[in-house]
Amino acid sequence: MATFQRHPSSYRDPSGFVFYKDNGLYRQVNKIYRDDFNALLESGLFDRLVKQEKLLHCELLRENLTGSPDWFCTLKPEPLRFVTYPHEWCFAMLKDAALLTLDIMEEARATGMILKDATPYNVQLHKGRMIFIDTLSFEKYDPSKPWIAYKQFCEAFLLPLALMHFSRLPLQPLLLSYPEGIPLALGRSWLPWKSKWQLNTYLHLHLNAVVTKEQQRSIGVERGAFSAKKLDNIVRSLKEAVTSYTYNGKDTWSGYYNEASQRDDYLAQKKEIVTRWLPSLPAICSAIDVGANEGLFSELLAQRNVPTIAADFDHFSISQLYEKTKRDRLPITPLLIDFSNPSPAIGVNNTERPSFLDRVHTDLVLALAVVHHLAIGKNIPFESIVQLFRKLGENLIVEFVPKNDEKIQYMLQQKKDIYTAYTEEAFRTAFSVHYRIVEEALIGQSGRTLFLMTPHEA
Amino acid sequence: MQHLLYIDPGSGSYLIQAIVAGVLGVAFFFKNIVLMVRHFFSRFFGRKSKVD
Repeated sequence: MATFQRHPSSYRDPSGFVFYKDNGLYRQVNKIYRDDFNALLESGLFDRLVKQEKLLHCELLRENLTGSPDWFCTLKPEPLRFVTYPHEWCFAMLKDAALLTLDIMEEARATGMILKDATPYNVQLHKGRMIFIDTLSFEKYDPSKPWIAYKQFCEAFLLPLALMHFSRLPLQPLLLSYPEGIPLALGRSWLPWKSKWQLNTYLHLHLNAVVTKEQQRSIGVERGAFSAKKLDNIVRSLKEAVTSYTYNGKDTWSGYYNEASQRDDYLAQKKEIVTRWLPSLPAICSAIDVGANEGLFSELLAQRNVPTIAADFDHFSISQLYEKTKRDRLPITPLLIDFSNPSPAIGVNNTERPSFLDRVHTDLVLALAVVHHLAIGKNIPFESIVQLFRKLGENLIVEFVPKNDEKIQYMLQQKKDIYTAYTEEAFRTAFSVHYRIVEEALIGQSGRTLFLMTPHEA
Repeated sequence: MQHLLYIDPGSGSYLIQAIVAGVLGVAFFFKNIVLMVRHFFSRFFGRKSKVD
């Protein structure tokens, strides 16, 4: 029997599990889930959701790849380009994931099924849209019971969205601390008083927190029958609540390109240099745009069919890019990442959800107008920055901004200039440890320089 | 027994769902009337009804 490796995050649900075998990713369906799985297929729900691009397509294999006595069948899901987590998503991505979950819940209800869990980890970005990936989340509906995933939906989707909507602040780091969802009692205390005037918010968050707390004190509440109509009303109300929440995080960096493009023909020249260099590189199958802003250069790569991770810590820029990615189905993964503190590994044994750096290794790293933000904005030495870029991928296109640049001078107006080591010579020395400089070019009259580098090992 | 642990997250939310569903039953009853009236008049005044 060939060996297989169970995915570290696939341990909660006895219905089946995800595993790796011979470099392929599979999902085993266990005998315990046979009836529900057959209902999913026979009702036509699976085919319909896949056709609507709401559920990830899987191939059904009648081969027991694990040798497990619990085996019922094996699924081979369509591969995802890159796995992302909710704490890396902008508001609109989490909102779309919430609406997708409710849409699927409605579709499932219409065919006599239901979702038995409702977590953002069941959703991924695939071909420019949010898509449901957990084929084993469906079960046959019992109208006498309420929605088993209701509290989970409220804590993992509704509360984070409501908090961002009312506070007008990007609160993604909260999702890192509470991957199972923000506890209602805690999250409720952060909601403003005015949020109680919205009926849906009041019911699902405020009242829910109070009743849940009271109920914990009195175990053994008498249970009457629930009904399908009641459940449908709850789903409709949750959908109204999610739809009503908005946030785009317009702040510091919005309009950066408008402003940047006014400087000489800086952006046009930069684009021209990058475009000229790209064909000289070996086949690029993936890329990451570090400090992507609204993704001008990510789009340049996407137009060449290079799947690109566009990462930036600015919520507004990533929101804008996500909307564009969704509209034009671009092969771009827009993510909220602070490169001075990229997402760590979380979950059981810290292996359940790997760190950002463990998930990313691309053929090309674009680091345009970003080094000075890390070196001067965050005091990170060149040596650490170059290690970061090397972990992110192979080839590197990096921009060096000299200290006399107006942007750096602006930054230094607000902090003491302790950056004596910030020189082009030190930059070259630090980067030469890991890379060989293949090309370099001044960007017009800006005084900034672009470098094309390849790693020494290559 | 192991699989019963998986059911736990929602089991504590029965009471709140019963209360919420009760309130929503009344709220949606009136909301549906408003939507129907709006839809009815929109046919005469040519305005698109706002069904959400």
